Amino acid sequence: MKRKTFLAAIALVSTLPFISCSKTESSDKLTIGLLPKSKGNQYFVTCEQGARTAAAELDAELKFDGPINSDPAKQNEIVENWITDGVDVIVAACENRDSISTALRKAQAAGIKVITFDADAQPDARSFFVNQATAQGIGEQLIDTAAELTGGEGEFAIITGTLTASNLNEWIKYIKERQAAEYPNMKLVDIKPCDDQKDKAQQEATNLLSAYPNLKAIIAVCSPAVPGAAEAVKQAGKAGDVKVLGLGLPSENRAYVKEGVTQAVILWNVEELGYLAIMAAAAVAKGELVAGATEFEAGKLGTMEVVGDNIILGKPFVFTKENIDQFDF
Amino acid sequence: MSTARSFSIKSLFARHEMVLVLVIIFEVILFNALGRRFLTSGNMSNVFRHSVEIGLLALAMTPVILTGGIDLSVGSMMGLCAVLFGIMVNVLGLDPWMAAFLAIGFGALGGGLNALLITRLNLPPLIVTLGTFSLFRGLAEALTRGAESYSGFPESFLALGNSDLAGIPAQIWVFIAVAVGIYLMVHHTTLGRSFRAIGYSQEGARYAGIPVARNTSIAYILAGAVAGLAAVILVARLGEARANAGIGYELLAITAVVLGGVSIFGGSGTVGGTFLGWIALAFLNNGLTRISDYRIMDQPIASVARELSGLLTGLLLLTALAIGASTKTLAVRRARKQSLSNIKPSTTNP
Repeated sequence: MKRKTFLAAIALVSTLPFISCSKTESSDKLTIGLLPKSKGNQYFVTCEQGARTAAAELDAELKFDGPINSDPAKQNEIVENWITDGVDVIVAACENRDSISTALRKAQAAGIKVITFDADAQPDARSFFVNQATAQGIGEQLIDTAAELTGGEGEFAIITGTLTASNLNEWIKYIKERQAAEYPNMKLVDIKPCDDQKDKAQQEATNLLSAYPNLKAIIAVCSPAVPGAAEAVKQAGKAGDVKVLGLGLPSENRAYVKEGVTQAVILWNVEELGYLAIMAAAAVAKGELVAGATEFEAGKLGTMEVVGDNIILGKPFVFTKENIDQFDF
Repeated sequence: MSTARSFSIKSLFARHEMVLVLVIIFEVILFNALGRRFLTSGNMSNVFRHSVEIGLLALAMTPVILTGGIDLSVGSMMGLCAVLFGIMVNVLGLDPWMAAFLAIGFGALGGGLNALLITRLNLPPLIVTLGTFSLFRGLAEALTRGAESYSGFPESFLALGNSDLAGIPAQIWVFIAVAVGIYLMVHHTTLGRSFRAIGYSQEGARYAGIPVARNTSIAYILAGAVAGLAAVILVARLGEARANAGIGYELLAITAVVLGGVSIFGGSGTVGGTFLGWIALAFLNNGLTRISDYRIMDQPIASVARELSGLLTGLLLLTALAIGASTKTLAVRRARKQSLSNIKPSTTNP
């Protein structure tokens, strides 16, 4: 009896997929799937806000969906579901570059346009990458801001993540080049790694402060180092005398910025990144943005530059005491 | 076991499976009515493609739970086997199919470690596999320093995860083979009967001359090997082998098994029940992502599907268990009282 029931169940269930069904789609609007690395992350929630603004201006339908846990298969599954849905464009921030590329290539094979933003896929799995900032842009913005804060002279030190991190080293390379060319009165005295830990950064900053009594500024190129350096400067009673600036999220640094310990936090404008990604997606879908283009119109952002297959958001954004409260990521 | 009681328990399971079939039919009607393209061949391919790894783990978990044990390490084992597979292909230059075969072997070895600790040292399965749960994932992370991953596998191998064979996703054929194999083993061999006997009463099984340690070991080794197979299929689908493969899958597999009516205390349950439990969960997970025309808390259901599916999985599990509960608990309680008065069944392993 048990087996009979089981067999009946199997028979029933296996016929289900073959019951055909057709539904008419309600709209012929442009449908865009926006895939963040993770859905709950405030960074991507802010991206979504910009993306919604762009979708409203374009009268496009926006699907925003991403993983809510660290299962590496989830991004692929979302893309595969969107392929079934027949979305027009997929815009992805890639968590696992190689595995998501497998799914994105499938989407391309199904005639869906694919672009990436924030974190790129393999180049053959997408047509364009909306790049939030170039290494050069970040490095130069950091040293320019430091020069502005110190009057273009005096000793400064850098706290980095690890001495082997290639992206951080590239930023430091541009900091050094720009300083040599534009700010000859500034002097880089030391570069210390903090292993991406706030505590270690604080300790290194404290050491720097005692080793170099004339230090005018600390540039933190990894995000945990910005509040770490700020705490060291604050405890040494040198707030304001030694300027603190670096690359990080406004939310992590808000308290120090408002106290006047940290003068500047540098990051791209995340909301505009989401906006630009959707504008680029629509332009690709409409055939306005094709391989070889050098620029395209991105709504309220105006004409955006296209370098190769990269669409560059532009100069990084500087968060200061005056504007930091307008941002909640 | 008196004939009368075994007969009534049998009919109870039939009832549980019927409830699941009704749940599945209800899901299909609901998702097809509210959602877009639920019952299309494209979407059905996705449903099965995306859940086949969890289905495999659930099938292999069934004998383990039937013996009154549990294996929390299968998800971590997938991570370890994925990484080992990646190393064998990319670093050692092995043929992917050879590496797949060896990855399954490594899975069996890991299962063997579980079995050894459980049957030889008499440690509780929950604790042993909680340990190997951390150990296997930790090994996978150590081997890759948490950052490295392996990709660039040949197309012929990726086809296992991404192509169709006779109109059905290729990996489903593997699943069918494993499902039939485990079904035959559990329900048509003395080994399979011994799993339930061990789960029902280890002491009793021992007195009946069943090689308890050996047969329990087989269940864990099989679970490890199938976890290795699931890892290979996942890598073929994603095209990348990473230490975080299969993270959290052990709990989803256990959910499918328990939803399928297998008693978590061991002794009773069917492979068919597990299969239906797995289908019910797979349909639920996918179906919610299809509903984009209806909103909940001002959001299209599809865009909060992942959050909702966790909640509804919990509800489904508790409801399905509660439906038959009034009769079932009464029957089981009565049975327990009877057996308690005769022999003391232990809930831990030998």
